[in-house]
Amino acid sequence: MDGRYQQLAWRMTLTGLAVTLIPLWVTGAAIYLYFASTQEESQRAQLHNLALNRSNAVQLFLAERTSMLEALGHVATLDALTSPGELENVLGILNKRQQSFVDIGIIDANGEHLAYEGPYHLEDRNYGGEDWFEETMLRGVHISDVFLGFRGVPHFVIAVRRDDRTAPWILRATIDSDVFTRLVQSGQVGLTGNAYIVNRAGRFQTAPRFGGEILATAPFDPSIAPPGVNVVFREDEHGRRLMTAFAWIASKDWLLVIDRDSSEPAAPLRQALRLELIALVIASLLVGGAVVYHIRQLVTRLAEEDRSRVATEAQLAHSARLVSLGRMAAGVAHEINNPLAAIGELAGLMEDLIDPAFLASTPHAGLFQDNVRKIQLHVDRTRDITHRMLGFARRMEPRHDTVNVNDVAREALTFVEREAAYRQVELVRNLDPNLPIITSDRAQMQQVFLNLLNNALDAVPEAGRIVVTSRSDEDGVVVTVEDNGCGIPEELHDRIFDPFFTTKGPGEGSGLGLSICHTIMKGLGGSLTFTSSPGEGTVFQVRLPRHQA
Amino acid sequence: MAIKVLLVDDEPSFVDTLKRRLTLRKLEVVTAASADEAFAVLDRETLDVVVLDVKMPGTDGLTAIKTIKRHHPLVEVILLSGHANLEASVGGMALGAFDYLLKPVRIDELVYKIEDAHRRKVLQEEKIRALRAAAQTHAGEG
Repeated sequence: MDGRYQQLAWRMTLTGLAVTLIPLWVTGAAIYLYFASTQEESQRAQLHNLALNRSNAVQLFLAERTSMLEALGHVATLDALTSPGELENVLGILNKRQQSFVDIGIIDANGEHLAYEGPYHLEDRNYGGEDWFEETMLRGVHISDVFLGFRGVPHFVIAVRRDDRTAPWILRATIDSDVFTRLVQSGQVGLTGNAYIVNRAGRFQTAPRFGGEILATAPFDPSIAPPGVNVVFREDEHGRRLMTAFAWIASKDWLLVIDRDSSEPAAPLRQALRLELIALVIASLLVGGAVVYHIRQLVTRLAEEDRSRVATEAQLAHSARLVSLGRMAAGVAHEINNPLAAIGELAGLMEDLIDPAFLASTPHAGLFQDNVRKIQLHVDRTRDITHRMLGFARRMEPRHDTVNVNDVAREALTFVEREAAYRQVELVRNLDPNLPIITSDRAQMQQVFLNLLNNALDAVPEAGRIVVTSRSDEDGVVVTVEDNGCGIPEELHDRIFDPFFTTKGPGEGSGLGLSICHTIMKGLGGSLTFTSSPGEGTVFQVRLPRHQA
Repeated sequence: MAIKVLLVDDEPSFVDTLKRRLTLRKLEVVTAASADEAFAVLDRETLDVVVLDVKMPGTDGLTAIKTIKRHHPLVEVILLSGHANLEASVGGMALGAFDYLLKPVRIDELVYKIEDAHRRKVLQEEKIRALRAAAQTHAGEG
């Protein structure tokens, strides 16, 4: 393919890819965006439910622990609880299912420990005047914020007041917040999910996954959270956009926070995106491949067709030129024939009238007689030329003979045998005996063969060689006349079949032979072609169809 | 008896010369410069063979054959033309021309053709005479 077709192929390929791939990817993107937006909605709902669920679990946890202490206060008497060893027993029962109670103490209305069981040895500690003590005495129940207790483990305290007999007393227990923290952290989803509790002052009550240590101050003000359970979008301290669920825990003024990075797609969306990308890439490769392949094929075929059309057009133009030249030749011949006939008759009459008396009358009479004969000879020569020129116009209806091409070739060969022998030219007959009998015009074929043989004889040097070959193929019969003569120079190839084109000297050839042969072969539905390499010889090939058109 | 030939051609130097040459060859020759002139001669004289040019001003050779054959069916016509074309040759033969020759023609060839044409004319006339005789005999018997 040359540059023009290459360029066309590129343009078509780019257009083809654009019109197929752009809609494909736009559709893909639209589907993804639609899916993502529905996904965001469902994520929001999911986060809302998660927050609600976790906050309920936390409340339940606190309510359970509180209830356990209240139940204990109701079931057991103060005396029983303060009796030695009893509290250790109680702590064992409380922790039977879950190791969440760290210690337990009984405190009287003055803040003095009546009994204590646990690792902190608080038996002598007086809580009188402390905030939590006052609050418990006042309200009957207190849940503390988280603090780092024994061995740096986070704890919080639940205290309940019991009013029986004479004075109120308090059941106080320290709760290991580990279980509680796990409860909260189970709300962390994905790679960036973060769930934690902050108190009113904004301090972490459970260890967040990111953003700080337990009891550190959270980087936002909890008062931004509206009451109840809400899902909001906010930016964190690093400027990331977060989808956050806030849920106030009613029983303890704590705020449950579940963050997730909103830029991190949810798992189904990630998977959908991956599948869609794979599908799009495969579809793009297939479509792109098909576009590229077919356009390449198309352009290659186009180039081939253009090439063959150009060749056909050139051939047609050449044929048209031959036809018009032929018509002109015939017209010229006609114009010449009439005066030529008159000249011939005039000279003929002169010859007729030359008698012995005339010959004796003048010494020039012999010359007259001679010249009159020569005039007639030249008229004959001219007539031969004009009659051949008329051959172009004489589109005699070709006869439909049944022809054995080998016979015609042999006959033609007999005509040139004598001259060939004289010039010691070797005539090689290479005739296929199994040639099919074809329908054609025997005489015209004869004329073509004779012409080719004569030309070959003129072309070969002394002691040259002419090979006549016949063979058949599916289309018909092919006869080649091959000589080892001088060959035809490349620059003359285009003009070989032109009328009046000859390489022979003046008076030796009319330049009509091959031209007429070409016309005849066309008329017979066959063809006359040649290949020639200067210095090595020429091969003329005659193709005859099995059945004449 | 000499063969009587009518030469029809619009080229005077050609007809006149040819007339003299044919006369030298013992033929009896009359000439006409056009088809219409030829019809007049044919009506006037009994002729054997017409040598007719195809391309002439006025009535052309092919039209002329039709007229000649209609009025003088036994007269043989030889077409002689400087122009070789399919219509003229095929058409002329179809219209009853004896043969078609190309100018310039060798004098001997032309004479042979004229003699051939005359022979055919004589044969035709004999056949007709024979037919007539047969018809008369038949009529006599009936």
